Amino acid sequence: MDRILVTGMGVISAIGNSVDENHIALVNGKTGIIKGGGNFPSRYAGILPFAEVLMSTADLRARLHVTEPGVTRTTLMALHAFNEAIANAGLTDAQLTADDTALVGATTVGGMCLTDELYANTHGDHENIEYVGSYDYASVNLFIQSHYKMTGVVNTMNTACSSSANAIMYGCRLIKNGLARRVIVGGTDSLAKFTVNGFNALRILSDEACTPFDENRKGLNLGEGAAFLVLEKEADAGDKKVYAAVSGYGNANDAYHPSSLSPGGDGPYLAMKSALSNANLTPADIDFINAHGTGTENNDEVESRAMLNLFGALPNFASTKGFTGHTLGAASAIEAVYSILNIDRQELYPNLNFKQPITGIGVQPVVAYKPAKINHVMSNSFGFGGNCTSLIFSKA
Amino acid sequence: MMFYINKTNCISPQQTFGDIDIEQLHASVDNKLKVLEPPYPAFTANAIRRMSKSTRMGCGAALPLLADSTQPDGIIIGTQVSGMEENGKFLNQIIEYDEDMLTPGNFVQGTPNTISSQIALISNNKNYNITHVHRGLAFENAVIDTAMLLNESPQSTYLLGGVDEICANNHTLDTLADWFKKEDCANNDLYKSNTNGSLSGEGAAMFYVSNNKTNALAQLKAITTIHNTDVDVVKEHIRNFLLQNLPQGEKIDLLLSGENGDKRALHYYTFCEQLLDSGTPVARFKHLCGEYPTASSFALWLACNFVSGQATVPEHMLKKAAKVSALKNILIYNTHKTAQHSCMLVSIP
Amino acid sequence: MEIAELKEKLKVQIIQFLNLTDLTPADIKNDEPLFGDGLGLDSIDSLELIVLLKREYGINIQDPKEGRKVLIDVNTMAAYIEQHREK
Repeated sequence: MDRILVTGMGVISAIGNSVDENHIALVNGKTGIIKGGGNFPSRYAGILPFAEVLMSTADLRARLHVTEPGVTRTTLMALHAFNEAIANAGLTDAQLTADDTALVGATTVGGMCLTDELYANTHGDHENIEYVGSYDYASVNLFIQSHYKMTGVVNTMNTACSSSANAIMYGCRLIKNGLARRVIVGGTDSLAKFTVNGFNALRILSDEACTPFDENRKGLNLGEGAAFLVLEKEADAGDKKVYAAVSGYGNANDAYHPSSLSPGGDGPYLAMKSALSNANLTPADIDFINAHGTGTENNDEVESRAMLNLFGALPNFASTKGFTGHTLGAASAIEAVYSILNIDRQELYPNLNFKQPITGIGVQPVVAYKPAKINHVMSNSFGFGGNCTSLIFSKA
Repeated sequence: MMFYINKTNCISPQQTFGDIDIEQLHASVDNKLKVLEPPYPAFTANAIRRMSKSTRMGCGAALPLLADSTQPDGIIIGTQVSGMEENGKFLNQIIEYDEDMLTPGNFVQGTPNTISSQIALISNNKNYNITHVHRGLAFENAVIDTAMLLNESPQSTYLLGGVDEICANNHTLDTLADWFKKEDCANNDLYKSNTNGSLSGEGAAMFYVSNNKTNALAQLKAITTIHNTDVDVVKEHIRNFLLQNLPQGEKIDLLLSGENGDKRALHYYTFCEQLLDSGTPVARFKHLCGEYPTASSFALWLACNFVSGQATVPEHMLKKAAKVSALKNILIYNTHKTAQHSCMLVSIP
Repeated sequence: MEIAELKEKLKVQIIQFLNLTDLTPADIKNDEPLFGDGLGLDSIDSLELIVLLKREYGINIQDPKEGRKVLIDVNTMAAYIEQHREK
């Protein structure tokens, strides 16, 4: 079986509107978490920190030449990252529209970013109905599909915070099963009153910049963004620039609680273990883990325990949530780009804001930029509903 | 790629759960076909009071299939926006309480992966767990996922399902978008209607599937999906699907047509009928289940029952008088909002 | 309001708020633990009950950990409401 290679990447996040801009911020340790970015209307704007994409929805629309009505911010960010990825991979129009090119995207917000519009339309406003066709999750990928007249398999996945890891996994499996020759996979989510208030009601939003894996962590910050990867078979990559190979994936359920991980971290452990076995690797082969590391009390402790159980002595690890906040349905895709940069640039980026290891666990993430020899990176994503997925990227 | 369906359960607006009786048609009320919810067992002490309707239906249909079976190696669910009722309650709270001090329960229940994760939680299943939400092809993508899993791991078994619910918000939004009828229409008059839109429906269909032919109800032989509104493209795609997947010398013995009383969708179904031999019986199912994004899972449930002889095709489903017997191959063709289309070929095991 | 009356009202509110449809107020004893082995409520319920205290009694509990000290049983909840209620 051909290896599956990453031949293109695109990302938009609070730390930049392209892969290059994101890379510069990662190297310089420059966070995107701020108070009052100005693009997210909510009573919490300016009060709680968020990781906003610093471009208005109108600017995004203009920049992308999108003139159709009903296109949401979630979709616009997805299109932005998608465009960068396909240009980066040099996909031709013919390839894009071929029936062996698949699109698999993830989102947990989709059109629900339009809280006020939805409320109006469901409470008597039957005139301003621009968005009534866009309220669901699939609206994002259906727009991209029709924008580019794609004819291959198109799918949308939502497993909460592990959504885009599952989109990447699904894309790989479409190729391996012969249902696609190349896939464009990723995820998107915009800041929404829906998710901000949901996480706030669960009391897991921090009022300061998040501090993943720190003893005094106070919760997560929500962020927004999108990222897409172009995956192709080794035989098709030709002389294209190859960033990395997707060498393994594992999906497991924690089967414990709707919104918390089990104390023993069964789901995270099983996802990591099955990714290793899928990649034919041992724990010792992993050079770096891009941890889920949201900065919540529950996640960071459970993830640490699960990593310790599987790895014994931990390899270098860090969470990049201190740069981008938690971007939910986009998180795994954005972090896939960062994991691939770890390999392509042979360097590690810091886990921001870490001061003191968690009592009784004592693990310490990478806290400063450093060059390193990196062959295999594991990237973790764990979501509500116990949906856990780990991916492994390797030097091609 | 294909698989066998070993067991299936369905909670729908008709008598499909427990003792099946689809001869007697349950009527729609206010242009809606709502499910007949059976009394649910006590799933676990705390579970049911928190469940959204779709999670309740999903668990109610799924868990009996797991009761005397080996633990499936994965749970694969397709749904457009399950939990939207809870979601809507949460969205309403956001506005009505001006984002202050909200209850998290609605938010947690409102995420669509709650169905697959609750089934996992209750049955203590830590295996592969996924939720496909690709609107009118959410269930089809779940089917494709399952077929791939069985190709990758031939000895495994999986739980596959399609679930969606009617809720105030999606009903209102889809009515505004002209996808549900604005005038009164009863389900037994659905196909006489010559206006835009259909009746609103819901349901949960669950399938326990494997590569094991023994005692199987049916075989899912092939599936395809299309994103296009051009009827010629759709027709050509279905023609190729049949050429590639229908064994030489065999024919389609029944078309299960997703015709839904929406005048904009009718010609897709008519063209599909014209691809088949002129005497091919056509049975319609949307007057049973209503229109919803994963209605094709209800059609697959019907097909399993028809090919296995567990149910016969009732007269009220037949488009024109025909003798339906010796069913070997059933073609399910469905379109959701005329932009997403799918075909499934279901055969005797 | 008498404390006994408050406790009865509180039970009705708890059942309604948490959708405990299979319970009647008589099923909930004043000293029955709300969490764990008693009523079997969980962490999400505790957040819901904090919102109940805010919406029905005007009581603001900012730290959920503080909430767990109040939300032991109907007795402790009623006593806290008596002391802190704004409405």
